[in-house]
Amino acid sequence: MSTSEQTAFAAAGAVDAVKVYGEGDTEVRALDGVTATFERGKFTAIMGPSGSGKSTLMHCLAGLDRLSTGRVFVGDTYLDDLSEAQLTELRRDKIGFVFQAFNLIPTLSALENVTLPMDLAGRKPDQAWLDQVIDTVGLRPRLTHRPSELSGGQQQRVAVARALASQPDIVFADEPTGNLDSRSGGELLQFMRHAVSDLGQTIVMVTHDPTAAAYADRVVFLADGHIVSEMTEPTAARVLDLMKQLGD
Amino acid sequence: MLRIALKDLFARKRRLVTTAVAIALGIAFLTGTQLLSGILSDSIKSLVGDTYDGIDAVVRSSKVQQVGFGNEIRTPVPEGLAAEVAQVEGVRASSGIVETITAQLVGKDGKIVGSSFGPPTIVYNWVEDPQLRFGTLRDGRGPETDSEIALDFGSAKDGGYQIGDTVTVASQTQTEQFTLVGLTGLGKDGKDSGGAKSLQFTTPVAQRIGQIPGEFSYVVAAADPGLSQQDLTNAISAALPGEQVVTGERFSTENQESISQFVDILGTFVSVFGYIAIFVACFIIYNTFSIIVAQRTRETALLRAVGARRRQVLGATLLEAVVIGLVSSVLGLIFGALLGTGLAKAFSSSFTVKGGIPPIGVGTVVLAFVIGVGVTVVSAVGPALRSTRVPPIAALSEVSVDRSDVSRSRLVWGVAMLVLGGVLMGLGLSDVGPNPLVEVGAAALLILVSVALVLGPLIAAPMARVLAVPFAAGGRIAGRLAGENAARNPKRTAATAAALTIGVTLVTVIAILAASLKSSIDSTISSSLKADLVVNTTTFSIGAGIPANIADQVATTPGVKIASPVRFGPVRLTDAAGKRHARENPETPSLTGGLAGAADTAPPGEDKFMLGIDPATFFEVLNLGALEGSPSEMAPGTFATTKKTADDRGWALGDKVPMFFARSGEQELTLTVIAERDIGQSSIYLPMATFEQVVPPGFNIDNAIYVVADSPADVPQVQTALDKLVADLPTIKVQDLQEYAEQQSGPLNTIVLVIYGLLALAIIIALVGIANTLGLSILERTKELGLLRAVGMTKKQLRRSIRQEAGIVAVFGTLLGLVIGIGFSLALSAVITADNPDIFSYRLPVPTLVAITVIGALAGVLAAILPARRAAKLDVLQAISSV
Repeated sequence: MSTSEQTAFAAAGAVDAVKVYGEGDTEVRALDGVTATFERGKFTAIMGPSGSGKSTLMHCLAGLDRLSTGRVFVGDTYLDDLSEAQLTELRRDKIGFVFQAFNLIPTLSALENVTLPMDLAGRKPDQAWLDQVIDTVGLRPRLTHRPSELSGGQQQRVAVARALASQPDIVFADEPTGNLDSRSGGELLQFMRHAVSDLGQTIVMVTHDPTAAAYADRVVFLADGHIVSEMTEPTAARVLDLMKQLGD
Repeated sequence: MLRIALKDLFARKRRLVTTAVAIALGIAFLTGTQLLSGILSDSIKSLVGDTYDGIDAVVRSSKVQQVGFGNEIRTPVPEGLAAEVAQVEGVRASSGIVETITAQLVGKDGKIVGSSFGPPTIVYNWVEDPQLRFGTLRDGRGPETDSEIALDFGSAKDGGYQIGDTVTVASQTQTEQFTLVGLTGLGKDGKDSGGAKSLQFTTPVAQRIGQIPGEFSYVVAAADPGLSQQDLTNAISAALPGEQVVTGERFSTENQESISQFVDILGTFVSVFGYIAIFVACFIIYNTFSIIVAQRTRETALLRAVGARRRQVLGATLLEAVVIGLVSSVLGLIFGALLGTGLAKAFSSSFTVKGGIPPIGVGTVVLAFVIGVGVTVVSAVGPALRSTRVPPIAALSEVSVDRSDVSRSRLVWGVAMLVLGGVLMGLGLSDVGPNPLVEVGAAALLILVSVALVLGPLIAAPMARVLAVPFAAGGRIAGRLAGENAARNPKRTAATAAALTIGVTLVTVIAILAASLKSSIDSTISSSLKADLVVNTTTFSIGAGIPANIADQVATTPGVKIASPVRFGPVRLTDAAGKRHARENPETPSLTGGLAGAADTAPPGEDKFMLGIDPATFFEVLNLGALEGSPSEMAPGTFATTKKTADDRGWALGDKVPMFFARSGEQELTLTVIAERDIGQSSIYLPMATFEQVVPPGFNIDNAIYVVADSPADVPQVQTALDKLVADLPTIKVQDLQEYAEQQSGPLNTIVLVIYGLLALAIIIALVGIANTLGLSILERTKELGLLRAVGMTKKQLRRSIRQEAGIVAVFGTLLGLVIGIGFSLALSAVITADNPDIFSYRLPVPTLVAITVIGALAGVLAAILPARRAAKLDVLQAISSV
């Protein structure tokens, strides 16, 4: 299929993505020919054991790292052709991020953290959208607080709000619930689910937690740099089963 | 433990070196200037030794007068003394010597040879006996007729003269031409160039130009073979009991010391700035160690958890300080040696620098290491002690950054120190207490430390946010982050800024005082000087002035109503107040040994400068306010003064006041006029007739002639006529009042520039500090920077944000310095005003202060360039995942 067809329904994707670290004896193929697309308006989870390449895939898709060979795209842009500065702008304008921890700038208030990418771009946020996002994650009363005055769950919610606030083409989340207790984690995933279903956002989440993966529309399984399986409409039990099978 | 500390240290070489550089710069300055003074005084000593080589005894007057900078002037001796000395048994040869500073050499280009601040030009008579002669003949012969001259080869070269040329000499009485017949030099074969410029004439010409007709400055003698200097000295003294006789060795040493004293003053002056630089560096070391200790909290706690004792933790940090101190000292010594020899080369145009590079003295090396290691260790003790208080449990906690808040007790301490400093400053400046200088110094130190380190952290955060406003205007987040980052650790920001504050404080004080003095000079001249024109000397060399015949010619120039000449000379006040002063400041004990006959006969007293004036015209040309007594009564043997001086010393009209002059001895002058105020030159005025009789040769020359025209319309015509009159005199200019004022404040500008240059060192060190702190802070914020880059901050934005952060810290430090500097300058000006109520006026040089602020800010930005670049180069992924 042609590029235009790919990008018609895909928010992001990779074609024959290869990422090699090191040389000779120490060579590690973190990604070994991955081809995948991530649909617009869907919540996709990427799973796999440590060293499977799931984080590398996400970093390359998000413009934080570059492939050795192959191509990745976000929206209608191929990242491999972009300069360092263009990549930065792409991250700022088209991509949202949620990391496992340390998502927020400690010297800025919650609201300032949310609007940070737009402030960096010198753009005014869409106020109606911003209000909607803030209400979705339930942050209204905490907007003027500094990150140190927020709980871990609240901090991650601010991070989700920041990722959504600029209406990016796609949001990448790297183990967003990894540092949270199960209740806060559940709440956060609920918000993310909500953002996809009700607000029409696109989220790709790396996780190793079957419960978290169950919130997604689709799960992609990686092992040794290859896509080994995928599942739609997952449940925690089915994901766990598949993981056991793959582990054997 | 030792191994862990050293490993840690060398793993961070960059930090080691940047920290060391701060101290090393100060040490380099200190040792460099020490080395320079060493080189200069060694050269001077050997040159002076060569100059007077061969002289075994000197016969001279016991009447001596200090004329400042360690120079002294003795009364000349009668010509006949030379013959009497020659008769003494044991004297192989003797000669009367003329040695005065009463002429300048004019080069072929019509300009005076040599600089105002360089060594003097000395007039000598040509002595037939080569052993007793000044220098060695290199080329040609000595002057035989009254129209011939011999020069030292260095001056001849500078003036563009060769043997056979016609040489122009500007004496104090006239400009004359001589034929150059010989060149002299120093050393056995005359190869070394002398420090001083020497003009050698026949004895009658030298006496005439030296203004001691029928007299000699002193008489020198060489001993018969086998007779020691001391024996010859004793023999002469026995034969001529009224005179003072010294050995050649002592004579030479005295001369060496008087020149070395000047070099020492120079060295001390420059060293002060070295110490300031080191003081600034202390802040940086302290700050660096504070940050390192804070960043190492987890590491330290881990060490403690696995069993390291407190003392071991303390030892590790102090060891690090010792190593940095050692590295700094070595670096400083290397830079210092380069600096010292480089400066010596630069100085070689005015001082002759002999031989190659002398080895660095043991004293200098010890000083470098003691200061380098001492200062570093002392600065590191506080942070090191703090590191021992890290509980082992901290190893498990997340936070590794010093976020302790500024407390109420800090405020109390800060205010207490500030008040104490203020009180001390007040005491010191109002001359109460045992040692005003120490009080003022301690006060300045207290106030600086209080404001910079104790109170600084209290205001650092709000100030940083305010200063960030222009950068963050319009919602620019990079600027906002810059402000927040500068505000997030107020203690660190304050300590970093403090280094800059010190330099800026000093620059501010100097700038304000200079501007105030300049404006005071201008306003005093415009309000008090009623002359239309001033015939003035444009060189500051002792002995330079306006030839005597000019004053009369000015007075008879058509259109001139008044021509009032003024002369400067030394006086020792030997009244009760002067004797008290002399006891408070005893002169340095003179050399022992090598002296026979009359001891120095100068009575104790206070050395001042006086003016020689024409009473009939002086008070008309200069408005010194209301006069008590009448200038018409200022006959010979009287003098005038100002109300303040009279009140301070308890003089009243009609009092007979004792004064001592080297030429005429002690005598009493009657106070006949008391003026309301002076104009800052001097407050002792002698009528010219008396002045001429008492001052030593060299001082008896008009320094300026104040001219009043018949009417303002005549001024241009008079100026043209006077210009013509002095056209042949390269050192004399006819100035209007504005030019005159500019010349009066001219030296001030030079001094201020030199001080700025020296203080630049302190500011450079402060910049190293800013760069260092910023580098460490960035290291601490690696993760945050990674996040910012991940969510879309461009490298350019990141660099700008860091530069702005540094700019904010720098402006904070600069503003603090401005405020403290203005405070100090107000205190100083209060004291100056108390002493000179009518003259001193306080001025804030606003453009200069604005320039200082801008330079401070730009300097901060400059310091941030490298750290900002390094931060922008961080790999985003690695930064995010860093621990």
